[in-house]
Amino acid sequence: MTVNRALVRCRILTTASPYRVSPVARLLSRPGGGRVVAGMAAACLLLMAGSGVADESIWPPITERFASGATDEVPHFQKHVAPLFSRLGCNGRACHGSFQGRGGFRLTLFGYELDTDYDALRDKESPRIDLQNPAESLILVKPTDEDMHEGGKRYDVDGWEYHVLRKWIEAGAPHEKGKLLHLKSLVVEPAEIQFRQKDETVRLRAVAVWADGTREDVTPLCRFQSNDDQVATVTADGVVRSLETGDTHVVVFYDKAVVPIPVMRPVSRFVGADYPEVDTPTHIDKLVVARLKKLGIIPSQVTDDLTFLRRISLDLTGTLPSPEEIRSFLADRSPDKRAAKIEELMETPAYAAWWTTRLCDWTGNSGTQLVNVTPGQRAAQDWYDWIYRRVEQNVPYDEIVEGLVLGKSREEGESYREYCEAMTRIYGGDKKASFADRSTLPHYWARRNFRSPDDRVIGFAYSFLGIRIQCAQCHKHPFDQWSKDDFAQFRGFFQSVTFSARGSDRREYNRLLQSLDIDPKNKNGGQLRRELVKRLRQGQVVPFPEVFVNQPKAKRGKQGAKRRPGRNRQAKLLGAEVVDLSQYEDPRVALMDWLRRPDHPYFAKALVNRVWASYFGRGIVEPSDDLNLANPPSNGPLLDYLTREFVRRGYDLKWLHRTICNSATYQRDWRPNETNLHDEKHFSRALPRRLDAEQVFDAVLAATADTKHNHALKQTLSGRAIATPGPGRNRRRNPLDYSLTLFGRSTRESNCDCDRSSDPNLLQIVYLQNDSDVLGRIRNGGWVAEVTGRKAQPKRDNAKNKAAAIAQRRAANLQKRLTQLQKQLRVVRKKPGQRKQAIRLQRQVTQVRKALADAKKQLPKASSKAESELKWSLPRAIEDAYLRSLSRPPTPDEAAIATDFIHESKSPAEGIEGLLWALINTKEFIVNH
Amino acid sequence: MTTYRTCDGVRRRDFLKVGVVGSLGLTLPDYLRLTEAAESKRTRRATSAIFIEMAGGPSHLDTFDLKPDAPSEVRGKFRPIKTNAPGVEICEHLPKLAEVADKFCILRGVSHTLAAHQFGREYVVTGNRPLPSLEYPGLGSVLIKERPGPIDMPGFVAVPNTAQRPGFLGVQYAPFSTGATPRANAPFNVRGITLAGGLTVHEVERRKKLRQLLDRAFHGYEDNDQLLEGLDSFSERAHSIITSPKARQAFDVSKESPAFAKRFGTSSFGVSCLLACRLIEAGTRCVTVSSNGWDTHQDNFKKLKENLLPSFDEGLASLLWGLEARGLLESTAVFVTGEFGRTPKINSRSADGGRDHYPRCMFMLLAGGAVRGGQVVGESDEKAAQPLHEGFSPDDVAATFYHNLGIDHTKEYHTETGRPIMIVRNGEVIRQVFA
Repeated sequence: MTVNRALVRCRILTTASPYRVSPVARLLSRPGGGRVVAGMAAACLLLMAGSGVADESIWPPITERFASGATDEVPHFQKHVAPLFSRLGCNGRACHGSFQGRGGFRLTLFGYELDTDYDALRDKESPRIDLQNPAESLILVKPTDEDMHEGGKRYDVDGWEYHVLRKWIEAGAPHEKGKLLHLKSLVVEPAEIQFRQKDETVRLRAVAVWADGTREDVTPLCRFQSNDDQVATVTADGVVRSLETGDTHVVVFYDKAVVPIPVMRPVSRFVGADYPEVDTPTHIDKLVVARLKKLGIIPSQVTDDLTFLRRISLDLTGTLPSPEEIRSFLADRSPDKRAAKIEELMETPAYAAWWTTRLCDWTGNSGTQLVNVTPGQRAAQDWYDWIYRRVEQNVPYDEIVEGLVLGKSREEGESYREYCEAMTRIYGGDKKASFADRSTLPHYWARRNFRSPDDRVIGFAYSFLGIRIQCAQCHKHPFDQWSKDDFAQFRGFFQSVTFSARGSDRREYNRLLQSLDIDPKNKNGGQLRRELVKRLRQGQVVPFPEVFVNQPKAKRGKQGAKRRPGRNRQAKLLGAEVVDLSQYEDPRVALMDWLRRPDHPYFAKALVNRVWASYFGRGIVEPSDDLNLANPPSNGPLLDYLTREFVRRGYDLKWLHRTICNSATYQRDWRPNETNLHDEKHFSRALPRRLDAEQVFDAVLAATADTKHNHALKQTLSGRAIATPGPGRNRRRNPLDYSLTLFGRSTRESNCDCDRSSDPNLLQIVYLQNDSDVLGRIRNGGWVAEVTGRKAQPKRDNAKNKAAAIAQRRAANLQKRLTQLQKQLRVVRKKPGQRKQAIRLQRQVTQVRKALADAKKQLPKASSKAESELKWSLPRAIEDAYLRSLSRPPTPDEAAIATDFIHESKSPAEGIEGLLWALINTKEFIVNH
Repeated sequence: MTTYRTCDGVRRRDFLKVGVVGSLGLTLPDYLRLTEAAESKRTRRATSAIFIEMAGGPSHLDTFDLKPDAPSEVRGKFRPIKTNAPGVEICEHLPKLAEVADKFCILRGVSHTLAAHQFGREYVVTGNRPLPSLEYPGLGSVLIKERPGPIDMPGFVAVPNTAQRPGFLGVQYAPFSTGATPRANAPFNVRGITLAGGLTVHEVERRKKLRQLLDRAFHGYEDNDQLLEGLDSFSERAHSIITSPKARQAFDVSKESPAFAKRFGTSSFGVSCLLACRLIEAGTRCVTVSSNGWDTHQDNFKKLKENLLPSFDEGLASLLWGLEARGLLESTAVFVTGEFGRTPKINSRSADGGRDHYPRCMFMLLAGGAVRGGQVVGESDEKAAQPLHEGFSPDDVAATFYHNLGIDHTKEYHTETGRPIMIVRNGEVIRQVFA
């Protein structure tokens, strides 16, 4: 045992403050030491828990109590028998936990549905326990392999497991159905393990604290799992062994508790007092470095101005800085110019557009799912506009979410007709009216993949809680506390909202159609929709689809007595209390109130973690939408700090951006040092990341556009990827959509963050090197023309091309004819006596010459002359190419290479084009670094 | 034991005779060397692979593992038919495959426990039970790592996409996804394969040289970063593909002779199979073709009979025929699988009945290389509910597939941090497949 070398801390799961009890814990960790100091430990634990009675002792482990069969103790079904099944693997997916059961015996997957499991054991047809002859019980003879067991031998006859099960059966297999004991906490010691060397071991000990005050050492009944078995392994008995350097968690499972224990082994000798001085200007930096200090990782330096500017522009606004911006930022000598830049960028339209795009990802704005939600398929644009307005105005995050969660089509007090009139104004071309004016965003509830309560629970949990609850749709979440019951009870909040294409007021709907003189019986759905769009364009008020809250109907009871509406309607908040829904006209209000609680365990945290992940390429919890007990944050205090402050400051999104971007942690260089070369989760350096799909598209656009257009791209966002509402139905037809799909824009199908991909692939590179879109943009995007004075080549226009080809042929023919005539003329002139003929020929030559001149006027302008010279000086052109693509000036070497290349090219214009192509195809361009 | 010809045309049993009689003067070492050569030739013949992913999980009971004697709630509506391989019977709606049954081997009683699409898929395409902490590479990624193909063809092509990912091998082994399926007799426009914008190969070469000279910002760090390393390798490859005419030709299914192409029909799966054949011929190492819609929770029989089986039957039968016609079947390992089978018991949630996810018993098909076609290996119980005997795991089938390609599945790779990982951890080669 090398536990004395390990840093031992004791922490109670339910209390946040750690408490040092190393001497006791050390004693406890000695083999056989448990009993000696049991009383002492209990006292210590009680002290920490701050409750209970001091003279209570911890029950020794079940392995000792049932080592021989000689005990009067009756094992408890929930406390002992059920966990034993988990521990032995009986309820695993491959065994009796399978939905089909195994060998005619089915347990609930991963346990936790105690009553169901109990019934399975006592099944009348094929009972697994035999109260008359306990020793003949199948759960005793099968797992010991006395009777052939497909799953092999799980324990020995006369082993403690055997005694536990047998004693329980002998006592009549007691279990009180419907009564669950509440596990207050599971205290695991040590609460943190710090190894120094390979192959060191530490034994974990887990004490269950039940609501009635009983405490028991349940180590032998726990399941253990290492989150990274390169760093540490853990045996079934809870012995943790150190392997490689780095850190991970060992997770302990018992009953509903899931307790992650941090395990680490420093990567260098720079630990604790040996750690060098590192500048930590912000609180984020302090928390990050505190973690690095334990791991022996030294962070990279803060990066230079140019790298900072490129990174912050991409991360905060999804946009490359323009050459002018770069020049003026470099010229700025003020010490706080980075902070000033951050403020400046947050005021740009691109900031609003980029974060609207991200919020549309997280909330699931997808044209594909919003088909026919509004006339003319505008719903995705509405969604985008609605969020954009709020991001632009820095509306608090909780208010934005409120608009989605409480989304319904009609404003307070608005009748169906008034609603349709208002929407007609918005859709009918009233320039001043915008969907963003509406107080809520009902489309959130109208998506095709968000109409069943189950889908809603799953999507909502992803979007606003950052948890993957779908496991619990069918069985207990394997890595979290959620049970099937939690899922089912949560569903109640999502059942009362309906989307209807014909609104909630059918009479008014029909009246509107009548007034438009439309008979819906004569038209199928598609025809009716098209007709309505037509009328809408003419400014007529048409009926609109609607999202509304159903009012519970008064039902008649069995005796015919009128029952109070909505009675017995209940739903349970995840991890919180049961809510009486009859108190709410709209049950979603209860949901929103819950999200808003200052101590909500997920709501703010999920957002903070996602925003962080956008800046660093990975979340503090990773995957960023998988907050679960067994997947703890890589830096808990950091996530807690940001979450707490974000809530305290009224969910201020700009505060969050500002705080992260101003930290040294965000501004670090990507170049690693020896200690942080392999660090990918503690934020000790910037990780090179491929640009996001929208950024790639916009970056190519900006790098190839002329100065004026580039400026416009920043102001109006016209044609920009970050200004598009998301994947739509006509995906293939649009060049923008092709590129975005290729580079992994979020599909917004499942609300999972994995809908977006930033993996590179061959096709993306083929696109950048050889796609006609990109090559066309380099040639005709405007910048090459600006530099060379060459007019952008006309776009492929078949009619024009045809005309040009005709003119060309005509000119060629005329030229030929002219040459012929001139030759003849020369011959004729030499011969005397042919003057008349000479005059005739001369006249013909003049005519042809004129025709040729006319024909040439119709030819596309010859460009060879203009191309031979550049409008800009070569050094200026090269520098500009660098600034607009790589956001930095070239080094002298690079400038020389580029100059040579351009000189060797057929023309300067071609050379410039080639240079821009090469720059767009460097890794430096496609990577945010 | 069946007799068969070795590469030099001598029957194996004959060898013994030869050895005993000694009339050819073979010494024992000679004999051993010959048989060893024969053995290794026999088992290491395939150099390329085609992987058919039947996404959704096809019902084994209604395709290749029929149980005509089972009760009606299990048996389903389809009847078995005889094939051109004695004793091998498959579903009546697979008549074309029945005519080429001598070319493929049916594995029955393959079994695992992952009933979710994503996990099941990951399992069958990697041969390793998925882990949350580690992503295993797909079979195609391993193949192109072990057997790099010509540089001017994409080594690993997915038509139109695949569940296979490069995993810890890194993104340079990722598949080239076409993103779309080709149409019959029409040029298949895979964007970027054709030289665009009037560029010449010469100019592209010049630009590439310039890019290489300028792309130095991350110099020295590429080896430590998967992203940078991957981008470099994609760049090289993209350049080769763009500058060579071979890839353009191969992707263009309309260049195929009409007589050959006709067999593949006009379904997108069929034409995709034709494309797979052309790509393999041009040197691509691995092609995956996905066939979708097998998740028949509802209206199982209607969907199978009317949509799924006819195009699958036509496409796969033509592929096997075409590979053989082109002399490629011997060098191409073919692997057909879904992520799991479907429940023996027919559910009644829809009028036509459906079947749900069922990993405990499924079928897979192997063909090409050294696989002996026309046989069934393994067996399921009377309701096709589980393997009758030991059964096979996806790990075993993956090991067998690698064996067919001459790749030792017990070979160890190292992850970025130096952790050793076997190509297939728990698999055993199924010898009967080659018997």
